Amino acid sequence: MASDPGRILAGQKWCRTSVSGEPPRLDRFRNRRRFQSSTLNVTGISLTAVSAGLLACTLLEALSSDRDTAALFAATLLVGATGALLWCFTEPGTLRMRQIFATVGWTWMLTTLLGAAPYVLAGTFAVSGAGFVEQVVNSVFESASGFSCTGATVMTDFDNAGSGLMMYRQLTQWYGGMGVVVLAVAVLPFLGVGGLELISAEAPGTSSDRLTPRVSETARRLWVVYAGFTVLSAAALFAADGFASLYDAVAHALTAASTGGFSPHPDSIGHYDSAVVETVVIVLMILGGTSFSLHWRALATRGLPYWRNSEFRSYLFVLGVFSLGVVALLWLDDGMAFVSALRAGFFNVVSLGTSTGFGNAAGSATAGDYVTWVAGAQLLLLFLMVVGGCSGSTAGGIKVMRMRVLGLLMVRSVRKTQTPHLVMPVRLGRDVIAESVVARVAGFFLLHFLMMIAGLLTVTALGGELEASLGAVVSALGNMGPALGEAGPTASYAEAFSLPARLVLALLMIVGRLEILPILLAFVPHVYRAQALRRVIRR
Amino acid sequence: MRRARPLLGAAAEPSTARIVSWPLAAVADTGLTLGLVTTACGLAGLGDDNADAAVIVGAGLACAAAAFVARRRVAPPPLPGAGRVFAGIGMLWTALVLFGAALYAGSGTLTQIDDALVESAAGFTTTSLTLLDAAETSRSVLLFRSASSWVGGLTAVMIAVVTLPTVLRSTSLIGYRTQRRGFDLVPNPRVGTRRVLLIYCGFTALCWAAYLLTGLGFVDALVLASGTVSTGGFTGRADSLAGFGFGAQLVAFFGMLLAGAGVFVIWWMARGRLRPLWRSGELRAFLVLLALATPAMALHSGVGWGEAAFMAVSAMSTTGFAVSDWTVWGTAATVVLLAGAGIGSMMGSPGGGLKVMRAQLLMGAAGGELRRQLDPRAVVLVRRDDETLTQRTLDRLGGHQIAYVTLVGAGAMLLGVAGGTLVGSVWGSVSAVSTFGPAMGEIGAFGQLSGVDRLERLALAPVMMAGRMPVPSVLAGIGLLLSLCKAALWRGRYWRSGAVARLRGEPASPQAAEQQRSDAEQLAEDGSAGARFEGRSG
Repeated sequence: MASDPGRILAGQKWCRTSVSGEPPRLDRFRNRRRFQSSTLNVTGISLTAVSAGLLACTLLEALSSDRDTAALFAATLLVGATGALLWCFTEPGTLRMRQIFATVGWTWMLTTLLGAAPYVLAGTFAVSGAGFVEQVVNSVFESASGFSCTGATVMTDFDNAGSGLMMYRQLTQWYGGMGVVVLAVAVLPFLGVGGLELISAEAPGTSSDRLTPRVSETARRLWVVYAGFTVLSAAALFAADGFASLYDAVAHALTAASTGGFSPHPDSIGHYDSAVVETVVIVLMILGGTSFSLHWRALATRGLPYWRNSEFRSYLFVLGVFSLGVVALLWLDDGMAFVSALRAGFFNVVSLGTSTGFGNAAGSATAGDYVTWVAGAQLLLLFLMVVGGCSGSTAGGIKVMRMRVLGLLMVRSVRKTQTPHLVMPVRLGRDVIAESVVARVAGFFLLHFLMMIAGLLTVTALGGELEASLGAVVSALGNMGPALGEAGPTASYAEAFSLPARLVLALLMIVGRLEILPILLAFVPHVYRAQALRRVIRR
Repeated sequence: MRRARPLLGAAAEPSTARIVSWPLAAVADTGLTLGLVTTACGLAGLGDDNADAAVIVGAGLACAAAAFVARRRVAPPPLPGAGRVFAGIGMLWTALVLFGAALYAGSGTLTQIDDALVESAAGFTTTSLTLLDAAETSRSVLLFRSASSWVGGLTAVMIAVVTLPTVLRSTSLIGYRTQRRGFDLVPNPRVGTRRVLLIYCGFTALCWAAYLLTGLGFVDALVLASGTVSTGGFTGRADSLAGFGFGAQLVAFFGMLLAGAGVFVIWWMARGRLRPLWRSGELRAFLVLLALATPAMALHSGVGWGEAAFMAVSAMSTTGFAVSDWTVWGTAATVVLLAGAGIGSMMGSPGGGLKVMRAQLLMGAAGGELRRQLDPRAVVLVRRDDETLTQRTLDRLGGHQIAYVTLVGAGAMLLGVAGGTLVGSVWGSVSAVSTFGPAMGEIGAFGQLSGVDRLERLALAPVMMAGRMPVPSVLAGIGLLLSLCKAALWRGRYWRSGAVARLRGEPASPQAAEQQRSDAEQLAEDGSAGARFEGRSG
């Protein structure tokens, strides 16, 4: 037994996967000793995928402005080589619940850190005497904002980056929209055992729909729908803009489909100053905030299953009611012209209600700059930032479905106080929600609330103003992008927050994107290991 | 078997009572106390402004007489339903606020009815907000303003410590019970009512004496004692406690600490029981939170530790006293203050907020949720001291937290639409819902409402009341309002909707009454047939 090279050595991380005695030369690489780590393996796949996008951006940069080509090429090599090494020299282990969360959490953190490399190498944030540490922090912030589909930016000089780098910035949001782990599950059939749990841990919402019996096939279909939707979005935007700029259309399509909100222009969609473009973007944002399983079903059945979905109906209801409320406040209370109020109000409600974060303000203190609106309208937007889009979509926030469950839970709790023996299941449409799901939703809301309080205390302690900090924390956790006060839609986070506060906000973005638990639980196995170490030391 | 007594005071004998109603009985009991206290305030104000004093004495006597007559005619049901009790609590707070508003308007102290309503709501809900200026206010009105806080605080404690645990038949999340004889504050409603009243009055007398010892006058000491014990925070001065000496501030500090700790802690201390004190996780958490908030505020505000500790206690007990203008502190310090006011005081205290115990249990529930995510089959228990909480209690806890956040959000929305700034609206809402009072923005550190926009001031009144009442009462009130609006919109006559009838326990419509009557006749026939059958077989 001891001489059997195929035996997996119990208690050791290093193992041999070959079962033959002497493998042939070609098989030697395949049957090499690999480090067993799901985290590193999935991170490797993610980084490899990101490097493919980086390579495309490098080519684009070389063909257009040729400003950051060398930096982008170096970043492609760095990210690609790291990804390939991790992918080749590791293999996924047994996925227990704890490891699943750790895998997702660490994958996102490592991808975000390495995804900042292009900005650092290109010196995107080397403006007005910024030191190296500040550049690195800003790059990590921008990377986290990209991968988490938040859309908050610390960029002050948009001319300091070439078109390839700006496209990479858009692309990070596109990767983050559907999720790098879903991508890994799609390309790795052997992750299928814990694949659905991996997708659940990463995907926004209460549960993940299994579209096909095979999890990897489900992941692949989600990506196909996502890619198709992006292509259609680009075509629609290109047409709406009068076929003026394909680059802009693709760039905005990448972030509209992912409800990310980055734009290559400092004034976002306000750059176009076109009602047609804004209308198209509104439709795209609403579709981006809808469950992709529903889109798949619409494609598969060639019908429109949307209206039969109670969450989608609630989602549209919330957007409609809040739009009317904001428009009424802007028109009656703020004294804005009705057409301007309608345009600004509707666009910003949909933008923040779907957690996209595009702005339609052509500059500060214009109609679309919502930080100048009356407090009531801003509070409605703040509430929308907390709600977010549908579960199973690329949108952030608590999600409409959870909000409905929470409302019903509150009513049930009150009614049970009045009638203690009342049996009242929580229903969504015709479906009865399982008590375990209700408990999970209540727990999630509690954790979200606690994270918000902790984030607000930390960011204000690090020097943030109350209004900007409140908006930024809610925005980061809900993956919105623009916040309130000094961090509004026409401002940069760099001017509103200190360096440590920016790092905290970057972490909150990842926490919000992964819906809190994976990041919190990512550290749990290490705690257990520390306990084991302590026991050994004690002996 | 002994007949159950009303929970907010004594009851009429069943033989003389004609109406059986818990809400009316509760209103009558509280009205009698309020009437007597108001009369006393008016009498104490004689010689200063006799016109005001006469109005207040008259109103007090009228209130007491009406309540006395009502007491003779109204009896509470032996086992009141929880729904009726929550509706009654809502009705009780509304009646108190309306009485106070009528008195302010009647005495001419506040000529606008909306101002009178806000002042009255601030008083009875023990929120440290005011429109009054002590220099221009008569002694009797000043004393009545303090008395309104005092009665409001007493009513809040009675409801939390005696009424709700009895009605809900559960002490989880509400009170403390220990099995050993003598430890339990509320062994039954009658004894509990007497003990709570004794503790509250005794604590007030002690505070009054302590303030007198620091050299304050009779009226000032009484006003401050009421503001301290009830966590109302009313001082009658525009600069709160800043103008008072160190002695008065010291008394206020310890008074707020005890008031925020609640009647259970005072009861244990009075009985010399140290064991429950040590074993109370809530008390430990309360003190730890204070110990953490003090250096955090001192660090970010630049003030001394003493001042920071004072404000920490003021916020966590939701009293609202201030010794300086804390709105100019650093942002982090004010956020800590806001968090303290949001968490609030301990169970059994007249203070508001989420309550320390609920915050503690929510943390436990959050930890449990993390554990459950790691191992979905794990049986996760949430404990409070020695007690394991049931799923029903945890459901209620979750429901309460959601309702609290919803209330704060709705309050902020209301204030924002009424014209407040964003920060001012959020601050004002948290502060008003937790019955703290002062806030960033136009309200300021001393809770003066005279500089606040009129519409915004009016919007504060329902927010304060919603924060003071139990959540089911708020929802019952909202439900009633919606029913009335719906009826007014669709039918033209609100009583046809049946909302009022349902509240009174009557059939909602003639058809329903007919159905009920025929059901009763059917039941009676069935019963007599059964009896006949049994008699024959016997």
